Amino acid sequence: MDLDTVKERAGPREFGPADEMPREYREAATRMIQFHANSEIMGAYIERPFIRQAPSLDRKLAVSAQVQDEVGHGQLLYRAAEELGIKTREEMLDELASGEGKFLNCFHYPLDDWYELPMIMFFVDGAAMRRQATLKRTSWEPYAHAIDKICFEEGFHIKHGEDILRTIATGSRRDRQRLQEAFEKWWPRILQFFGPTDDDSTHGGFAMDVGLKTMSNDDLRNAFLNAYVPKAEKYGLELPEYPRVEYHEDDDYYEVYEEDLDWDEFFTVAKNEHPTGAGQIDKRRRTQAAVEWVRDAIESPDSTGISPAAADD
Amino acid sequence: MKWEVFRQEKKKDYHTHVGSVHAPDAEMAKQYAQIMHARRKPANSLWVVPKEEIAEVHADDAGVEMGGTTQKEYRWATNYNTNESFAEEIEASQREQEQAEEDLAEADR
Repeated sequence: MDLDTVKERAGPREFGPADEMPREYREAATRMIQFHANSEIMGAYIERPFIRQAPSLDRKLAVSAQVQDEVGHGQLLYRAAEELGIKTREEMLDELASGEGKFLNCFHYPLDDWYELPMIMFFVDGAAMRRQATLKRTSWEPYAHAIDKICFEEGFHIKHGEDILRTIATGSRRDRQRLQEAFEKWWPRILQFFGPTDDDSTHGGFAMDVGLKTMSNDDLRNAFLNAYVPKAEKYGLELPEYPRVEYHEDDDYYEVYEEDLDWDEFFTVAKNEHPTGAGQIDKRRRTQAAVEWVRDAIESPDSTGISPAAADD
Repeated sequence: MKWEVFRQEKKKDYHTHVGSVHAPDAEMAKQYAQIMHARRKPANSLWVVPKEEIAEVHADDAGVEMGGTTQKEYRWATNYNTNESFAEEIEASQREQEQAEEDLAEADR
């Protein structure tokens, strides 16, 4: 299929493995889905310490379920990306471990304490959910199928995140103060979640033209702010003075003053060169190396001389 | 040789299992699948898969727990009584989970 035909036919779930897609399409889709898959894995690494740090058994069970879901989402997405024939799952996992693979800006910053957890679990996951819901209409059908299952599970994540947020927000004055501090630290990163304005977006235009993306970053950011700013206010969180976010009632539009945001840091993060992000990638690399023997045993069960046993035997 | 048949009714639907056919090879299996499973009912695409290539794990198998047979309320959106109606995508996810819970209850009966 040539590129003009792709653009002409582009629509929800329009193309699949049976279609001969041009290289430009397959590369753009691989880039997008690999980024998404990497982000699921690195998101799991951000939340994982809170399985241990959870303040109650209920929270511990729910956080571990979320981490498990996210690793599963990563696997679904790597499979959807693999179907494009550009990279294998192993190549994508190796790229993530080597620092070559890219992922969401917010997952380059480890969380310092429990008060910061709802910043990821409610606001960042909420932003991701807003974006993912639009991808049910992506043109690469295997991607849409992965998204169907992701969206089914993600509602629990965000509601659990909101439940944690509410618990802290209705706690002591000290709790509310620490929540506000966490919010101010994370708010600029959350505003940058959808990237810079469309003018600066390198790949957005093509991805829209071939139906991989169905909504621009600007529209997504605005839709997110429309739903989540009132939520922040509901829980007593005050938007910091800077970066400025101004609501224009007539157009139902949130204007984000981009010049108030640190784009140098954003692009350093995007290149995997921010120190905290490099630390997160190191964690992933060490884990991948540490379980190398598991993958070897699965690939060639006879070579180890031991038979696999269930953990609870 | 037996082949299991999966039919996709309309473009963009998921393929679902509809039955099986006897055939000596894939070409014949596709022919029979068309006649058996796509002659009257609408079909956009058919998959035929050698039956022996399909491996199954069953809910009744020893040591198998699938589809929420253990008590895990914490895994469901419905367990958290925050208001889901502020964002349609959260609401949609919750409705899907409610449906899944109903299906599970139904299967238990």
